Amino acid sequence: MPQLDYDVIIIGSGPAGSTTARFAANAGLRVLLVDKRQELGAPIQCSGAISRHALEQVGIVPDAEFIHEAIYGFAIYDESGNRTVHDYRQLKADEYGVEAGKKPLGYVVDRRRFDRYLMTRAERAGVDVWLKTEGLGYTPHPDGHCTVRLQRYNEIKDLTARIVVGADGLQSQVGKWAGLQTHIKITELAGCLQFIVDGVETEGLLEIITGHRWAPGGYAWVFPKGHGYAEIGLGVVATMTDEPARDHLHRFISESFFADRFKNSRILEVQGGGVPLAAPLRTQFADNMILVGDAARHVNPITGGGLHTAVAGGKIAANFLVGHIGDKLPLTDGALKAYQDLWLAELGNKMWKLYDIKTDIFHNMNIPERDDQLYATMSDYFSPTSEFKKI
Amino acid sequence: MSKQQPVLFSIGWNACINCGACVAICPQEAGFVSPFDTIAVDRPCDIACLLCEQICPVDTIRHEVVATDSVRPVSAGIR
Repeated sequence: MPQLDYDVIIIGSGPAGSTTARFAANAGLRVLLVDKRQELGAPIQCSGAISRHALEQVGIVPDAEFIHEAIYGFAIYDESGNRTVHDYRQLKADEYGVEAGKKPLGYVVDRRRFDRYLMTRAERAGVDVWLKTEGLGYTPHPDGHCTVRLQRYNEIKDLTARIVVGADGLQSQVGKWAGLQTHIKITELAGCLQFIVDGVETEGLLEIITGHRWAPGGYAWVFPKGHGYAEIGLGVVATMTDEPARDHLHRFISESFFADRFKNSRILEVQGGGVPLAAPLRTQFADNMILVGDAARHVNPITGGGLHTAVAGGKIAANFLVGHIGDKLPLTDGALKAYQDLWLAELGNKMWKLYDIKTDIFHNMNIPERDDQLYATMSDYFSPTSEFKKI
Repeated sequence: MSKQQPVLFSIGWNACINCGACVAICPQEAGFVSPFDTIAVDRPCDIACLLCEQICPVDTIRHEVVATDSVRPVSAGIR
C-alpha cells in the first residue's frame, strides 16, 4: 500500500467528530478533521444539556469557557402544570450542590464554545483540523484504502486514508455516499424551535413539559442558560399537528400554565433543528466508512438528547479504530460490523430499549392516556432510580 | 413509483433558521442541498413527498409543480 495521507479522515467537527478525532490521535493515529463551517456549533440546533458524568467519561473537565449554567436536577410537568421534581441537591445532598466539595449534576453548554473547545482539544492531541472544508465523496479501493474528495475553500483535494468517519450530523451526506439507509420517518423527526430569552426565572433545573396540547409528538422545555437567561423551546412531530413548531411555541408561551411566568420574556435568539426521536441506524458502517453521532442517529429517542451519546459514541468509535487499525484488520464493511456490535453492547442496546418504550407511548392513539404515559415515563426517566440514568 | 409531478422548492430565506430539518427528512440521494444547508432550490425534486415542507419549524418552504414537458411551471396549491 502506498503511503497514505492520513489513517482517518473525519467529516464534521461537532462533539462526535472531534471526540473521535481526539481519542484516535491520542493513540497515535494520523487524523484529519474537516468541517465545512467557518464557526463550529453554529447555527445552534441544540438545547445544550449534558451530564457531568458524560463529560468526565470522555476526559473533558467542565470549564467556564463553554458552560452557560450548572444543572442540579429536573422538573417534569404534565399538561396542566402538575410537576414531579428530582432535585439532586435534596435527593443526594452530600454529593450535589453549589457548596465546596459538591458538584453539579450536569450543565447547559454554549454549543459554539463547546464545539470549538472539543475541536481545540483534538487539535492539541495532534489532529489536523481544516475548517471551510466540505466532504464531497469517497471511493474505496481494492487494496483496502480509500480516497476522500474534499473542497477546502474553493480548492478540490483528493486525499488517501484508511477510513472515513461520517460525523456530519443529522443531515449526513456521508452515509448516503455509501448508499446506507439513512432516511428517517416523518413520524420520528421532531421539528424543534427554541428562543433564548431574558426575563424568565429558572431554578437550576431542566424543566420538561409534556402534553399533546403544547407539543404533539414531543415535549416543551425551559432550560437555564446562565446570566439570568433561559431557553424556551419545543419539538413537534409533523404528522400529529397541522401547524409548524413556531405556532406551537407561541401558544406555549402565551397560553400555557407558564403564561404568567413568561409574560415579561424578551427573545434574544431564535434557534431550531430537527431532533430524531428514532432508533439508531441499523447499519452504521460500509467499506472504509463508519458513522458516529447524529449521522448514525446516536440520539436518545426519549429525550432527544444527543450530546452524551455523541461524545460517548465518538470515544467508542476511536477505541475501535485504534485497535482495528493497530491489528491491521481489513476495513471492508463486513469487518467494520465489529464497530457497530461494540457500540450496541456499550450504548446502543439501551437506546433500542428506549426506542421501544417511546414507540409504545406514541402508538397509543388515546391522547389523554398517552399524555399520562409520557408524563409518567419522563418522570421516571429522570429519577435517581432510573435504569437509564447514564444515557 | 411516485405519481407526483416534479416540484421546484423555494425558501423564504428571511424566516429560514438554517436548522437543517428539511435536509434531515429528505429522501433524495446525497447532494440535494443548497449552499445554505437547506434542500436544493435550483433543480426540481422528482420525489415531491413534501416532507420538508411538513417538518419545517418555521413553515418557510413552498413549491411549484414543474410541468412534465418542462416548458412552463404550473402554479401549485400553495398552503
